[in-house]
Amino acid sequence: MVFSSLFFLYLFLPLCMLSYAATKTIKSRNTVLIIFSLIFYAWGEPLYVLILILSAVVNYILALLIERYRDGTGAKAALVFSLVFNIGMLGIFKYSGFIAENINAVFSADIEPPDIRLPIGISFYTFQIISYIVDCYWEKVHAQKSFPKFLMYVSLFPQLVAGPIVRYSTIESEINMRRTTIDDLSSGITRLIFGLSKKVIIANNLSTIVDSFFGSEIKGLSVMGTWYAVILYAMQIYFDFSGYSDMAIGLGRIFGFHFDENFNYPFICRDVSEFWQRWHISLGTFFRDYLLYLPLFGKRRKYANLFLVWFCTGLWHGASWNYVLWGLYFGLFIFIEQLVGKKRMKKIPIAVKHVYNKLVIIIGFGIFYFENMKELGNFFKNLIGLNGNKFIDSFVTISLENNLYLIIAAVLFCFPVAKAVGQLVQKSRRFCYVTGTAQVAVNICLLLCSSLLLVDATNNPFLYFRF
Amino acid sequence: MNMNEIMERLNEVFRDVFDDKRLVVDEYTTADDIEDWDSLEHINLIAAVEQEFKMKFKMKEVSGMKNVGEMAEIVRERAKR
Repeated sequence: MVFSSLFFLYLFLPLCMLSYAATKTIKSRNTVLIIFSLIFYAWGEPLYVLILILSAVVNYILALLIERYRDGTGAKAALVFSLVFNIGMLGIFKYSGFIAENINAVFSADIEPPDIRLPIGISFYTFQIISYIVDCYWEKVHAQKSFPKFLMYVSLFPQLVAGPIVRYSTIESEINMRRTTIDDLSSGITRLIFGLSKKVIIANNLSTIVDSFFGSEIKGLSVMGTWYAVILYAMQIYFDFSGYSDMAIGLGRIFGFHFDENFNYPFICRDVSEFWQRWHISLGTFFRDYLLYLPLFGKRRKYANLFLVWFCTGLWHGASWNYVLWGLYFGLFIFIEQLVGKKRMKKIPIAVKHVYNKLVIIIGFGIFYFENMKELGNFFKNLIGLNGNKFIDSFVTISLENNLYLIIAAVLFCFPVAKAVGQLVQKSRRFCYVTGTAQVAVNICLLLCSSLLLVDATNNPFLYFRF
Repeated sequence: MNMNEIMERLNEVFRDVFDDKRLVVDEYTTADDIEDWDSLEHINLIAAVEQEFKMKFKMKEVSGMKNVGEMAEIVRERAKR
């Protein structure tokens, strides 16, 4: 099940909220959330829900063993077993086909790639579990004694299928005790609607345009057409992914959970390193905390670990070489920025820095889009007109004219314009009594628009089936 | 080794790693206070401190250190010289 569907918004969620509100104790509230989360997952993955539960059972026991045998080698053994199990599950379900294809290519072997479909959200919940297990081993959190509470942490539907990767330490106290205030409920619903609108009104419509350009053979596209489509694609992914994160954070608040932010206006960054401190923050901090400081490479570990992290970041996004290339591509620019150093980076004029980082980021999204290496090659050639393609044609100008308002809105909302206006209005006392009413009106309008678009949805892709 | 001595030597290491002769750190200094102290430079800093005090940090400590005071505390427990 996905958030951006009428079934979820008008049946599943209200039912879940009503059942939740009808219960009084934390135990029964947790039970409601577990039942609804398992239904949410099983709706699309009737069989794979068993894998989710198996992962929860195995890791629940291992965390208890880590705590129990803390002083001996038992804790280390349990940690290693858990890592092998979790990474092994990812390996089997996400990477076995990819591994088989590569072995075939390198050794001219003839291994039949196993026909395994990827369980939705496995990369997100597996990473949550790994962070929990390592934190237990590092004594940053206590192992959860109650299996239902642990199962709820793993399966909690707001963040289950498209992140963010919520740390156990972030919601540990709320798993045991929480209450939803009026403020939580109101900002949660606002955030949910805001995220839904980002996904349905902006991302889905951008996706239609991008598909019309990149959907078939791209060799014939003009130079400007290729740039235009890849810029829109960068914005589409931003609105889609950050929209999902907004919905997750909003849904969390409705049920009294406070997740950390996952996006912080990434496109206002001044360099590529900063972009990654603002984009998919929960993944970046995961790799920083659990991989970056791995003492593997001796004296050269700063740069070796940097590239290890970016190799893994790429591979995490999908079992295909273009994702690995995409990760290493960002690693390379961050490496270069490290070599230049912060002091010298500071001396570069701000306009130059913005042109540089936007170019790197946007071309990066091109690498992310094209899984087929030949098409990726054509994409690069198209960008600089090496395919003998025209500089500009009517395909671009007509598309731009037809979608001008959408594109202007998308560009504006990439930057903290709405946030700045909101703060300005809140400061002014004269307006303060209308802001509450205006917020409700805006919410209703956005919800109506999104719902209408969902009724007639011909293009409502779920982009995270690879994660 | 007393805490003052550790802090003094740590300060020298910080000045060296961040290439700033006027840098002064105290127990409450965090990565937010030093512009160049990001997650990657942290690796170089850790390596330099390890070399200065002939000791090793555990990965859990490297990833969880909150301020210079915590770093100094670990050094005090484990430093060999």
